[in-house]
Amino acid sequence: MKGPLENGTLKSVPECGEKETALMPALYTAQKEHGWMSIEAMEAVAGALDIPKARVKGFATFYDMFGKKPVGRHVVRLCTNVSCILSGSEELLLRLRDKFGIAPDETTPDGRFSLVAMECIGACGTAPAMLVDNDFYEDLTTENIFSILEKYK
Amino acid sequence: MITVTINGKKIALNKPVTILEAARKADIYIPTLCNHPMLEPFGGCRLCLVEIEKMPKLQASCTQYVTDGMTVWTETEKVLEARRAMLEFLLINHPLDCPYCDKAGECDLQDSTMQCGPAIGRFKEGKRKLPECYDDPIIVTNMERCILCSRCVRMCSDVQGAHAITITNRGSKSCVEPFSGGRFDCEYCGNCITVCPVGSLMSRLHKHTYRPWYIEKEIETVCSFCGVGCSFVAQIRGDSIVRVEPRPDLGLNKGLLCVKGRFGFDYTASPSRLKSPLLQKNGDLKQTTWAEALSHTAGKLKEIKEKYGPAAIGAVASGLCTNEDNYTLQRFMRSVVGSNNIDSTTGFFYGPAQRFLEDIFGQGVTLNPMQGIANSDGVFVIGADPSAVAPVLGLQVRAASRKGIPVVTVGHMPGLKRFATCSLVPDAFSEPALLNRLISGLMKKRPVCGENEFFEGAIKKFMLSTGDDIADPCGLSNNDIERAVNELDLMTNPAVLIGRQVVQRSDASVLLLQLSVLTYLLNGRIYLISELPNDQGLVDMGCRPDMLPGGRPVFSDSMRKRYEDSYGSEIPSAQGMSLMEMIQAAHEGNLKALYVMGENLLPDLPDTGYVKEALSKLELLVVQDTLMNETAELAHVVLPACSWPEAEGSYTNFEGRMQHVRKAVHGEAMEGWKIISEVAKIIGSDFGFLTVVDILAELTKVSPIHKGITYAEMDGGKCLWPYNGEPLRDSAKDFALPDITLLKRAKDCGRPYLFADQQLFHSGTIGRNSSALSMLMPASYVKVGNALSEKKSIQAGDVAGIASGIKSAELDVIIDPDLKGMMVLIPNILADKGVMSFMKWNMNPDFKNPALDGNEIEISKLRSKAEEVSA
Ligand code: SF4
Ligand code: SF4
Ligand code: SF4
Ligand code: FES
Ligand code: FES
Repeated sequence: MKGPLENGTLKSVPECGEKETALMPALYTAQKEHGWMSIEAMEAVAGALDIPKARVKGFATFYDMFGKKPVGRHVVRLCTNVSCILSGSEELLLRLRDKFGIAPDETTPDGRFSLVAMECIGACGTAPAMLVDNDFYEDLTTENIFSILEKYK
Repeated sequence: MITVTINGKKIALNKPVTILEAARKADIYIPTLCNHPMLEPFGGCRLCLVEIEKMPKLQASCTQYVTDGMTVWTETEKVLEARRAMLEFLLINHPLDCPYCDKAGECDLQDSTMQCGPAIGRFKEGKRKLPECYDDPIIVTNMERCILCSRCVRMCSDVQGAHAITITNRGSKSCVEPFSGGRFDCEYCGNCITVCPVGSLMSRLHKHTYRPWYIEKEIETVCSFCGVGCSFVAQIRGDSIVRVEPRPDLGLNKGLLCVKGRFGFDYTASPSRLKSPLLQKNGDLKQTTWAEALSHTAGKLKEIKEKYGPAAIGAVASGLCTNEDNYTLQRFMRSVVGSNNIDSTTGFFYGPAQRFLEDIFGQGVTLNPMQGIANSDGVFVIGADPSAVAPVLGLQVRAASRKGIPVVTVGHMPGLKRFATCSLVPDAFSEPALLNRLISGLMKKRPVCGENEFFEGAIKKFMLSTGDDIADPCGLSNNDIERAVNELDLMTNPAVLIGRQVVQRSDASVLLLQLSVLTYLLNGRIYLISELPNDQGLVDMGCRPDMLPGGRPVFSDSMRKRYEDSYGSEIPSAQGMSLMEMIQAAHEGNLKALYVMGENLLPDLPDTGYVKEALSKLELLVVQDTLMNETAELAHVVLPACSWPEAEGSYTNFEGRMQHVRKAVHGEAMEGWKIISEVAKIIGSDFGFLTVVDILAELTKVSPIHKGITYAEMDGGKCLWPYNGEPLRDSAKDFALPDITLLKRAKDCGRPYLFADQQLFHSGTIGRNSSALSMLMPASYVKVGNALSEKKSIQAGDVAGIASGIKSAELDVIIDPDLKGMMVLIPNILADKGVMSFMKWNMNPDFKNPALDGNEIEISKLRSKAEEVSA
């Protein structure tokens, strides 16, 4: 799990002309600083931008890339949509489970990885694909996936 | 002229409307779900699809506007097929638990499916499961039934402006939730419940007690909580109100209500309802008969009048009572007792403020239609947060703000926080300095126009004597003030809303004069934020020590004569005592009898201890009320009056609109006006009032403004100021300029000052007796801002000791980061810890009302909540 918000506020509030425009970047910041969209994180965003809290919640829960649960230090978002499934991401899921003992929406006991089964992330031509935090990886195989994950401690 | 043909029927229209509206005009049915008359067209549910010739695809009739020559078909096989398909989709995840659902019988989904839906669904997969949620005390949510039309969210955000709920998640996981996911913690207007087409948002208060077809009768009536006067239909079963329902085509609220109006009405069924008369015997109140209670009251009043004279008797009227009750009480005081000692808490703010402004600008200057606010080009608010004390009026300000109109607020106004384009919070008691700076700023931009020479002369004199030297920063930067002046300068015909707090203080006349000047410079219309349903009616009925019915001054010989001739008795020419003067006189032993109708003096008057002493010195204290209360406990006689839904009558709202309050249920008590007439009869004066029609007949005969008014006219909503009457159009040719030295009095803003917190969920004794409202705000509290919280190291959840010199108590602390400086707010919720019990007061010499400014208070942390738990 990432660190708590200091005094319930964001460290860096993105600057945009209209406060509504700043909502997505601010949610992104909150996720980066806090790891997931907790009630406190959404309150912090609402407070920083002076946007009604419920509105922030509507946005934060709409997008799959904003976490709805506490996550580990790194989030592995493996695509399981049509092209990736056809190209073997189901197998990758199984391998990840064998190696780290986690199914989608679970976190390793040491807090290193959280796994999320994603819908299409737009890399169908080079499927299967995944995101680790904000880094993009494609053409995954049962071999290269583990060497990639080695980089994330 | 636009002509459109729907199903072969030609419809002529003056302006382009949506196909749906055009069809409805021609009585052609198109099913809808996401569309609602109180909301903007949305086009989300696709149930209203129609076929338009020359258009390849079906179109949503709720968003598609007609064009000239358009041909539309609403019942073709293609359309019917589309409707069936839409409904089949909507029912995929719907639990079809209609037998158990409160909405059944008035559910848009049920009705549409009956009319246009498929008979069977083809979807075999399981439905989503979301248990009904009871986390909130008032609103039950059932998201399995939700069709995601977003009517509730649009209502809450776009109309109510509360932004309390949202659609969370996406796709088939979507549902409507408040931020917390459980408790709503919102304004509880319930307007989302009104617009939900299915049983997804429901009131917990009548959960599973209600079937629409069980309703035995529906009575159109007016809310009894505040001066807005919202209309709704009271639905009755078994002689009690099951629920109240606003309608988009009804009254000035047009389908909106606030928490008090919608959920608070259960006070009428409270266990504290008075049912039989009580008489004090050996210091205890004992049940008695009407005959004994009435003859005791009459006998005592007669005796006191003979012994001490009429001036030793006073009466307290009430803005909670109808015009008919108030008229009868003043009739009693003026013709039977022969005294002008009649006033009420309406005399603390509404009455004197109106009188002052009318003296300058003429009668009726504050009576303007409410829609004018949302349609004006600017709004200025001072003295009260309308969204708390007159909530539907507050919605008008929010609507104005949503249109991009400048809204300038002065003072702590949490309900308008997001809506003010410029919100000025000056230091405590420095409003006069601020207003002066606004006025002189504005005068530099727009010279006075020469329309009212007399008043302009006064302005000049006033500005000269105050001068520009008051560069008192009043806690605001020059920039803030400049911005405010610029915003004000954009306005050409703004609404100026004035509330209680500018009048309950020693410099009230200065403030009111400044506000008059500002209004004059802005060419504005004034609205007084009325907190009781009949503040205006009470004033119009002559329940003021200086006013006869119809707003005629009591010192005018010709006016008095008109009433004397009609009543057949003499009315004193000197003005009577105001409410606080009566209390003082009682304390000094000069007032011997007080007839209190519908007011609960102890919690609502400042310095409870003093008031209690004063009341206990009376030889006769009569309390005529609907609920047992602290004042009634001290009374010699308690006379139970019919409550709001139990009697016919009328209220006059802050616009001067007279509205019919209808009898909806049967009551065990007696009508207020009848009790008074009975007492009068025993004393020897028969008013001849058999029903309220007789009272209205007399009123319309004697009061010059109320000429010819009937209940039928009120029912049509047409009974608006200036009625058919003769208002006093003349503005004063002379009035005393207020004492300018008041303006220069410096206040030490480093000390904590006490103010009343304006409560959305409460409204005096009647609110306290509503179980719904008490659930929302069960306990009193003290609210402080960040500065004070730091200075005294008090945190949220602590218990603080509050002491004002006349009273000390312990209260839970709430931190309000928007509260400026050393302000301390306490609501007037509980009688023993209400803000008024801490307040010291001085008599305002101009208005004879209590000035509550300068109430310094000691506040300190006693313990934290955590300690309390562990202890
Ligand atoms: S009750 Fe009113 S404020 Fe609360 S969620 Fe519903 S519409 Fe919004
Ligand atoms: S709760 Fe009711 S009003 Fe709100 S989206 Fe669902 S069905 Fe529509
Ligand atoms: S705004 Fe006033 S009149 Fe309207 S429902 Fe609320 S309390 Fe009643
Ligand atoms: S399906 Fe996996 S990236 Fe498109
Ligand atoms: S009513 Fe037209 S789309 Fe819903």
